[in-house]
Amino acid sequence: MVDLEKLRQTAKDIVSRDDVKHIIGWKQGTYGFRVEPHFAAEPDEADALTFSPLCTNNLATYLTLAEKLPVPRGEEPDTRKVALMVKGCDSRAVVQLLVEQGLTREGVYVVGCPCSGVVDVKKVEKMFPDILEPAQAYWKNDQIVFQLPDGEKEVSREEVLPQKCLLCRYPNPVIYDELLWDEVKAWGSEDYEDVKELEAKSPEERWDFWKDKFSSCLRCYSCRNVCPMCYCEDCVLDRLNPTWTFRSVNLSENTSYHLARAFHLAGRCIECGECERVCPVDIPLMKLNRKLYKEVVERFDYEPGIDPEATPLQASYRPDDEEDFIL
Amino acid sequence: MSKDYEPNIVAFLCNWCSYAGADLAGTSRVQYPPNINIIRVMCTGRVNPLFLVNAFQQGADSVLVSGCHPGDCHYMEGNFYARRRFTLMKELLEFIGVDPRRVNMSWVSASEGGKFKDVVEKLVKDAKDTGPFEQFRRNKINW
Amino acid sequence: MMEGMKLQKEKLNDFLDGLRKEKYLFAPQKEGESLQFSPVSEESQVELDFQNTIIPPKNAVFPQTETLFTYQIGKLDIELPEEDRERVVLGIRPCDARAMEIIDRLFSWDEDDPYYFDKRNKAALIGLACLEPCINCFCTSFEDGGPASTAGLDVLMTAAEDIFILQPVTEKGEQLLSEQDLLETASDDEMKTVEKSHAEAAEKLQRKIDTEGIPQGLPGLWESPLWEKVSGSCLGCGICTYLCPTCHCFDIQDEVEGFDGRRCRMWDSCMFGEYTLHASGHNPRPTRRERTRNRINHKYAYFVDKFDVIACVGCGRCINYCPVNIDILNILAQVKEEL
Repeated sequence: MVDLEKLRQTAKDIVSRDDVKHIIGWKQGTYGFRVEPHFAAEPDEADALTFSPLCTNNLATYLTLAEKLPVPRGEEPDTRKVALMVKGCDSRAVVQLLVEQGLTREGVYVVGCPCSGVVDVKKVEKMFPDILEPAQAYWKNDQIVFQLPDGEKEVSREEVLPQKCLLCRYPNPVIYDELLWDEVKAWGSEDYEDVKELEAKSPEERWDFWKDKFSSCLRCYSCRNVCPMCYCEDCVLDRLNPTWTFRSVNLSENTSYHLARAFHLAGRCIECGECERVCPVDIPLMKLNRKLYKEVVERFDYEPGIDPEATPLQASYRPDDEEDFIL
Repeated sequence: MSKDYEPNIVAFLCNWCSYAGADLAGTSRVQYPPNINIIRVMCTGRVNPLFLVNAFQQGADSVLVSGCHPGDCHYMEGNFYARRRFTLMKELLEFIGVDPRRVNMSWVSASEGGKFKDVVEKLVKDAKDTGPFEQFRRNKINW
Repeated sequence: MMEGMKLQKEKLNDFLDGLRKEKYLFAPQKEGESLQFSPVSEESQVELDFQNTIIPPKNAVFPQTETLFTYQIGKLDIELPEEDRERVVLGIRPCDARAMEIIDRLFSWDEDDPYYFDKRNKAALIGLACLEPCINCFCTSFEDGGPASTAGLDVLMTAAEDIFILQPVTEKGEQLLSEQDLLETASDDEMKTVEKSHAEAAEKLQRKIDTEGIPQGLPGLWESPLWEKVSGSCLGCGICTYLCPTCHCFDIQDEVEGFDGRRCRMWDSCMFGEYTLHASGHNPRPTRRERTRNRINHKYAYFVDKFDVIACVGCGRCINYCPVNIDILNILAQVKEEL
């Protein structure tokens, strides 16, 4: 069970170490059901850390997000470890970063938080509108209990969990230096039902579905920036010479953007669902990712973010890969 | 669709096999439809799958990636990587609703001028059946 | 000034048809899951029961992508886009209308921006008073802001039980209303109810910021460790700026396809690294710390300095939709502590 005392004490111990720069965790947000990332560099800052069903953010993205400024002459680069609190899905991002050598194992200290599923804040806010007071929540058997100004409210997990959590097969961190509490029992299984449903439709119907979604895209690049696996210093979508995707916002360029984004995550997406969570216009991005995930599993028998010793999918091949469609 | 619709097919051919195969078709006076626009690349492994997306945006009605047979790659394994990438891109394009007949890959060796002709003929026939590609063509949307 | 007019709710669609006859009509409609301001056509379903749209209505006068001119490679002349039609934006919230008035000052800074004002001058804004403000609204923190503020509006519309009350604010609005034949004069009682509901709505706002001293104090906090703290979790995405009704930055690009080209401008965001990147590779705002600092400073200091108004209307969108809970009110509270 979640033990916040232990979590804070562990965090304090970790940040007191000389070889650790800071620990990245979650803290209560500024209003309602929001939780925000928290960077604790000093032991007393670790008191704000928390863990609850509201901790949706995948913090692994901060491992690669920081801009690397040139080190001034005469100074040594900061090589201290970054400590990171991870849920099951977040830990897979760490593994995949290790696979791709976007990270060294020595550079990160992973604190595992077995998780029983985090909520979809949009659903919760619809259920309990107009709550400004910071609210809290905790797991209780198959329920999630929300502590609201007018008392506690129990809600079943099915009602507030996002799809990625209902289908989750890896609620326990797959890599960690320290595990904060007992592992939880995995509950999910993947049958790609929604992907298959869309696949069964005709190409015209599928395009009608995506056309609407893609045309509403604002190109705020939030889905790209929040993704722990999107960490190219020079993104192909930012390139001006050559311009792969024009900056203008219309159906053609938006489609090109979403194809490029989804394709670059083929065999790399670890299903944390952050892209879909942050999208302000609710594009079902995980459908694209899950489609590719399904192909990767079925055709190449490969699952990203499980084995740190694996070779990246698109940097490897088997001579007998399926090729029934090749003329 | 009008009868005289002529599809525009963009083909990425590898320098060592398929391009030579196309060349052989030419030198052996094998007739194949002129709808194909060939872009020579050194290896199919050089074909970034985003090339396909970009070709569609810029007016291709169908695309082809063609290289050496598995095991014959001039660079030993380029076409194996290409195959994986292409498989995924093809699945993705199909999933958003692009007709599967528009996205093609073939193995044509330097000695297969006849096969190259067959591939091109099949592609042109398919493209004529599917009609012009309009789904996310760049063509002055909202200009 | 003309008196308040009333419109029966069941006649709304006929009223919209009347507006649509000669003008472009922008009104909130469902697009996918979300509500957006887009041109109304025959089959569209206008939705007037909402808190606020996710995407602000600034795109009615400042589209996300706008062609400046088109040209052909190898030829010397350019072709300008057609002049835009008269337009009516219906259902705009008072905060968003105030935002338009604020960005007018920017676009008319030294010279009027012809593309912007071609649309802006032809636009009549029919505002919809906000009776159920959202939890993060703080429009009353600004001088002429409020859930029923008329700043920037031509007509203020308020929903009552089974009628809409329309009050003209400007001559343009009066003109617009006099052209419509479905309206009746509202009674004094009805006007009083409306005024009461306006006052009640203002009471419902839960958040507020006292902006006093912030514009003067912000530049002094240039090197404050505060910026590092508040930008630590920033993802560098464009949500806060694209969804902001007063953000107006744009990028100009040439897009060429074959021999056809166009020069166009599109929204840009100061939260992107590319925004300040020089051709040399140098970036004067190299990290998210500088970018966050710029966003706050631009709204609360530079804009005040130049145009004498805070470039924030308190619509709460950047708070509502930030994926990592960066809360501008929280940042400003910390700024005030440091002053």
